[in-house]
Amino acid sequence: MTNITPVAPTLAVVGLGHAYGGIDDTTIAETGPAAGTSKHARTGTVVAAWDVSFDVAGGEALGVIGESGSGKSTVMKSIAGDIMPTTGRVTLQRGDGTTAVITEMSPAEIRALRVNDLSIVHQNPADGLDLRITAGGNIADRLTAAGWRNFAAIRERAAELLTRTEVPLDRMDDPVGSFSGGMRQRVQLAKALANTPSVVLLDEPTTGLDASIAAGVLDLIRGLLDEFGLAAVVVSHDFSVIEMLTQRCVVMQHGRVVEHGLTDQLLEDPAHPYSQRLVGAARA
Amino acid sequence: MSSQSVLDVVQLHKSFVLHNIDGRRVDALTGVDLHVNVGEHVALAGSSGAGKSSLLKCIYRTYTPTSGDVILTDTDGTRLALSALGEREMVMVRGRRLGYVSQFLRAQPRRTPMDIVTAAGILRGTDVTTARVLAMEALDRLRLDKGLWDVHTSVLSGGERQRVNLAAGTISPPRLLLLDEPVSALDPANRTAALDVIADLSAQGVAVLSVFHDLEAMERLASRIVVMRDGRIESDGPPIEILSTLRAVAR
Repeated sequence: MTNITPVAPTLAVVGLGHAYGGIDDTTIAETGPAAGTSKHARTGTVVAAWDVSFDVAGGEALGVIGESGSGKSTVMKSIAGDIMPTTGRVTLQRGDGTTAVITEMSPAEIRALRVNDLSIVHQNPADGLDLRITAGGNIADRLTAAGWRNFAAIRERAAELLTRTEVPLDRMDDPVGSFSGGMRQRVQLAKALANTPSVVLLDEPTTGLDASIAAGVLDLIRGLLDEFGLAAVVVSHDFSVIEMLTQRCVVMQHGRVVEHGLTDQLLEDPAHPYSQRLVGAARA
Repeated sequence: MSSQSVLDVVQLHKSFVLHNIDGRRVDALTGVDLHVNVGEHVALAGSSGAGKSSLLKCIYRTYTPTSGDVILTDTDGTRLALSALGEREMVMVRGRRLGYVSQFLRAQPRRTPMDIVTAAGILRGTDVTTARVLAMEALDRLRLDKGLWDVHTSVLSGGERQRVNLAAGTISPPRLLLLDEPVSALDPANRTAALDVIADLSAQGVAVLSVFHDLEAMERLASRIVVMRDGRIESDGPPIEILSTLRAVAR
């Protein structure tokens, strides 16, 4: 049977835009790749992201590529509910089949979403973990936020997650601050997966780790994405990370998506001048 | 088009515009028409730069065709226009319907030959247990030393990696398999074993479009040879005819 009708996307970003300052048609027209800047010369408005659309299905990972200031973080923050974008819509299909419209949620609803349905793995583990408390405690924190109350069950779940992310169980009761960078990142992954979210955002997940450690963490992430059928968005400036984790990508420049495609196609046959420059620089 | 057709390439053009090198345009394919039927092995011949690899990459969508159509006909007769398919749909077509084996193994670190070949089987819809059995069979047929089946591929030689790559590409084979110099690093004995595995694909009804740099491989495997030159097809015919021409040119 021919069935290549893709399943409904788990995460959908439609027409997302965010500007700092007033906007009108000229602000939009006079910023972006053609203008060579995201800052509007006359009004000083910064159009951090505009007209960004993509979707990601369960079991799929989408890469977002671009230099600093290209709008990647703005897009990620909008998905995470950290900022309320100027325009556009972000929706997430929860595990129970209901739809969350993130761009219309209250701060309390966002907090619940971030506990149950959407996790972020930060570049810096200190942003996702409390380094003063133990590995087990960090995970317990996320579980209790989701309503877990039984101490033994929490311990058991934490141990299961740490085992899956290859953190030695004899370190479970040590403060995360005493862990190496690679192991902190593994604890962050364990915490991110604690409540079986449907979407995970990976923000430079291996940047700052030694090459050998990064390879191990990357390999772990790849395995977890497959195993849990997560919809993932991966931001990285490192093409080897994008190549290993994602099947599709978008390239951003000055707040706009300038190209989208299959990952191998973007790396071997980039069409947009900016993508060609990025790939050329990485391959040089 | 015959109902047996698996691949139809119609007036395919591919140009690269090098924006950062004075915007120059390089034409890789200039109007290719090609058809491959069920169980047929079509070998692409021609000198370097003739467009052989570009054609394979355009079919697999590693390159975006500039114009023209690439149509894959599925087992139930559904015609899938690969050149126009959405990205997610294309990801789904890759695997069970369309495979690509290049010269080089591109594997994640910390993966063993067994992991890689089994995963390839699972991707094409085989259950885990069967995939493991098929993976062992494939590695065995390709004469990969059993002691290497469970070590990370980073320690393997070029020839060993190439055999892992070929095992992964041919396990539970897709409907159409693209091969780009898949045996280039193999010694004669391993090469013979690899060519046998590829020959078996045709017996199983897999359509194969290949690039081999040597004429012996084409002679052993091809049911038809297509000669490319300057991004288009120069001749297309039975191996005996084409090979005698190619050999005459080589002399």
